[in-house]
Amino acid sequence: MRILIVDDEKTIRRFLKATLVSHGYDVFEAANGAEALKYAVSSHPDVIILDLGLPDMDGVDITRQIRERSKTPIIILSVREDESDKIAALDAGADDYLTKPFHAGEMLARIRAVMRRLLPQSEKSLFTVGKLSIDLAQHSVEVNGHPVHLTPTEYALLKVLVLNAGKIMTHGQILKEIWDKTEDVEEALHLLRVTMSNLRNKIEPDPDMPTYILTEPCVGYRLCTDL
Amino acid sequence: MKKSKAKQNKIVPYFVSIALVAITTFLGGFIRGAIEPANIVIFYLLMVVMTAVWWGRYPAIMTSLLSVLAFDYFLVPPYLTFAVSDVQYVFTFIGLLAVGLVVSALTSKTRQQAMDALGREEQTAMLYRLSKDLAASDSLAAVLHAIRMNVGGIFDCRVAVFLPADHGITPGSFDHDFPIDEHENTIAAWVFRNGKPAGWATDTLPASKAHYLPLNTSQGVFGVLGVFFKGDKAGLGPGAGNLLSALASQAAVAVQRAKLTEISRQMELIRETERLQTALLNSISHDLRTPLVTIMGALSSLLQDFSSIAAETRKELLETAYEESGHLNRLVGNLLDMTRIEAGALKMKTKPCELRDVIGASLHLLKDKLEKRDIQMHIPRVLPEILLDFTLMMRVLVNLIDNAIKYSAPDTPIELAVELLENKVKIEVKDKGFGIPEEDLVRIFDKFYRAVKPRQVTGTGLGLSICKGIVEVHGGQIFAKNNPDKGVTFTVMLPLEAKET
Repeated sequence: MRILIVDDEKTIRRFLKATLVSHGYDVFEAANGAEALKYAVSSHPDVIILDLGLPDMDGVDITRQIRERSKTPIIILSVREDESDKIAALDAGADDYLTKPFHAGEMLARIRAVMRRLLPQSEKSLFTVGKLSIDLAQHSVEVNGHPVHLTPTEYALLKVLVLNAGKIMTHGQILKEIWDKTEDVEEALHLLRVTMSNLRNKIEPDPDMPTYILTEPCVGYRLCTDL
Repeated sequence: MKKSKAKQNKIVPYFVSIALVAITTFLGGFIRGAIEPANIVIFYLLMVVMTAVWWGRYPAIMTSLLSVLAFDYFLVPPYLTFAVSDVQYVFTFIGLLAVGLVVSALTSKTRQQAMDALGREEQTAMLYRLSKDLAASDSLAAVLHAIRMNVGGIFDCRVAVFLPADHGITPGSFDHDFPIDEHENTIAAWVFRNGKPAGWATDTLPASKAHYLPLNTSQGVFGVLGVFFKGDKAGLGPGAGNLLSALASQAAVAVQRAKLTEISRQMELIRETERLQTALLNSISHDLRTPLVTIMGALSSLLQDFSSIAAETRKELLETAYEESGHLNRLVGNLLDMTRIEAGALKMKTKPCELRDVIGASLHLLKDKLEKRDIQMHIPRVLPEILLDFTLMMRVLVNLIDNAIKYSAPDTPIELAVELLENKVKIEVKDKGFGIPEEDLVRIFDKFYRAVKPRQVTGTGLGLSICKGIVEVHGGQIFAKNNPDKGVTFTVMLPLEAKET
């Protein structure tokens, strides 16, 4: 497995490299946007870890340019302050994000999650987490072995999350997938929140404390892959 | 209008004087045979005195002259001629005229004095009113306002007060139709530099629109008073000029006092700020250094003696360093938040949010700490969406719940309740912990204030003040109350119609 680390801070690259190498990954380093774009193609990485605050280029632009050329999963590193950049990068095709500072274990988990999504589709037709199981082929949802009846919109929402299990889906991405909407956003967002609330009422053991579908504040939702 | 009326008033006394003399003469005509004409003179004198008292010198002089003529013509034989048969009447005429003139001079002087006294009393009253208003003014702005109102009211004019600025002088407070332009400003600046009046109705630059007086005190010029009369007015007149200077010197003292107060208040503020900053810096550097000491110590000892340290101890050292780095991270985050709130730079991104979702996400963030805790939730199934900044409000709830966890025993429940009120939402976080001393209930929201410091509880003393800042930018309130039985309840009130940003 090959991982490209893009960060202008040498100490951060050093610690990321040490952690990743000790877990058996091959690591390449880039210190700026230009190098990142070069290596993103030439070194054929399996995962790219990209810092949003590079000195020479805008992180969102880099994400977009990488996406034009390849589907390599991208995990963004951001600080709490540039939340809007984070959302923009996720909308531009980044797969996940980590807020600095982060736990090494958290990073390894995110890498495993994005890699798992690269596995062939067929294996994913049955999805199970905790007591929730969804069979996409059968269009069926069960909680605790009991079938749950969902409205078509609720099922569509759950399906989008299942197909991207473990990955953050931004509000924009979900709206586009389900309603194919890009305009009249506030009304659509309201509809999304209501649908999500109803869906959680049906599948979560405690809808006040959701454990399957997690809210990513201001960004979107994420379906948990393991509890 | 005013002028023609004044003219009328000036003429009226003369007509009345003529009428009075005519009436006296007419009445005298009836009795002229019965008594000595010389005795009638007394009545003429009475008229002279009355005229002098009522209208002053000139009507009185005229009355004397008319009296002599009318007396001679109508009442001294031979009648209806100015000729006199008895020479002794010439003495009567001269006497009447002389007495009339003297009486008129004396009475009119008395009258003038009385009027002056009245004028002085009025001036004193005006000065008194100004000084009262000035004394009641607690700031420079109020002082300037009082000056403008009083001077403008007394003279029926437009007023401006100029104050020294970085380069020369600037109008500190002025009536909107006071002529402020470069030329007038230059004159005001000249007055400020030279400490002498200038402008309209003076010898210096009389062509300008307004009249300018320095606000002089024994310690220098503190500003310039400008007065501007609408319409064409010839000059100020000595009375008005004196009153104006009196007002100006009183205003000067007030401006000086206000400026000195302002300076001392600023100095006080600077001192207080410096004192606070020093305290803050001490506190911050202590809080920042403590985790760093641990991290550096643990890591350096591992670097130095890695192989000789037992595996167990190595793990312990690393765990300590890791925990402390988390602490440091929280502290830096809190300091940044606090700075942003204080600088007013906290950017709210409000969107309609489901409160239930905010609470759920907050609890998820704390799930490791909450694992063994009994959380009792009372959230209505149906809640309207509220305009909130999701992440900021999450920070408030995480902070409150985290506090509840830290300041109560692990086997006690934590209660989370949401209640819909008329136009707001009440969120309560209730614990069964140690509680907070009553006198600290308000101060816990102050920066760096920590009420109870039980062992094993680390904190920066910033969390609650950040909560307060965030809740307040949402237009809400936050407060704490001890429960009747045990522990404390933190309440956040949020308006349903959150304020737009």
